[in-house]
Amino acid sequence: MGQRSEYIPPGWDYNPAAWSQRIPIVILAFVGFGIATYLSLYQLNYVDTVWEPFFGDGSITILNSKISRLLPIPDAALGALGYLVDAISGIIGGTNRWRRMPWIVIVFGLAVGPLGFISVMLVVFQPVLFSAWCTLCLASAIVSISMIGPAMDEMLASLQYIQRAKRSGISTWKVFWGIQPEVEKIK
Amino acid sequence: MWTIFINIILGIWLMAAPTILGYGPIASDNGHIVGPIIVTFSTISLWEATNAVRKWNYPFALWLLLAPWILEYDLTIAIVSDMLIGAMVFAMSTLRSSMKNRYGGGWTSLWKKYPDHMNDPME
Repeated sequence: MGQRSEYIPPGWDYNPAAWSQRIPIVILAFVGFGIATYLSLYQLNYVDTVWEPFFGDGSITILNSKISRLLPIPDAALGALGYLVDAISGIIGGTNRWRRMPWIVIVFGLAVGPLGFISVMLVVFQPVLFSAWCTLCLASAIVSISMIGPAMDEMLASLQYIQRAKRSGISTWKVFWGIQPEVEKIK
Repeated sequence: MWTIFINIILGIWLMAAPTILGYGPIASDNGHIVGPIIVTFSTISLWEATNAVRKWNYPFALWLLLAPWILEYDLTIAIVSDMLIGAMVFAMSTLRSSMKNRYGGGWTSLWKKYPDHMNDPME
């Protein structure tokens, strides 16, 4: 499915927008969403305790830290929102979306990549500030960093496509948004 | 590929060692910061299209060689461990994983005058 040869970008051996490439990332995003939702239910006081098998009071310390409440909504809720953006932007579009809708591929790449990276760093640096570890926060971080590598190939295909459009003198703006007559002109 | 897994294990060790071996606060903080960075970059570099990210480990590996002296670690085991990890992570990060697929010239193609994806021999 999605490995039709005309959907393979020039100079590539496979189609990075094929479902076989995208579904594992979407599954990871939903796992991350589940973990982050559970943690935000604790932070919003909908559940009284949080599962912590290894680090004693670690999760409680971290999930109630000042940094986690810096913004109007708790950080785990922001994380859940981030994972939801990852999942939705991973699902939208067909198996030729790297050239038919580069914008969604770029949104997906930025949500999973740079934003994912920042959120991971925020989670993992908490031991420095609070001398505590949080099992589910670490699990969420592992999910996030596992998504980055597999998502980036599709972004590369879209950027190369935009590069080809630019070289052919076709409006980068229109190609980015996938406006039909322009898209047809490029391979 | 195996070189990356070694880097991931070394990064996890950086995070765990301060507690296991009882490092002082400065050496602990350093491990808690550099460890996750090495784990993250190494995990990203597991995939072919982002294998080059392993090179982002270089500055952090070099820092591990210097940090014990700049930050004045008081524990010998912490000095030895960090320097050894720094040297190993650097060495492992220089090794490219073997590629199964082509990527139209990869990320560097985006800055090239004649990128591979524009003069594909298959066309």
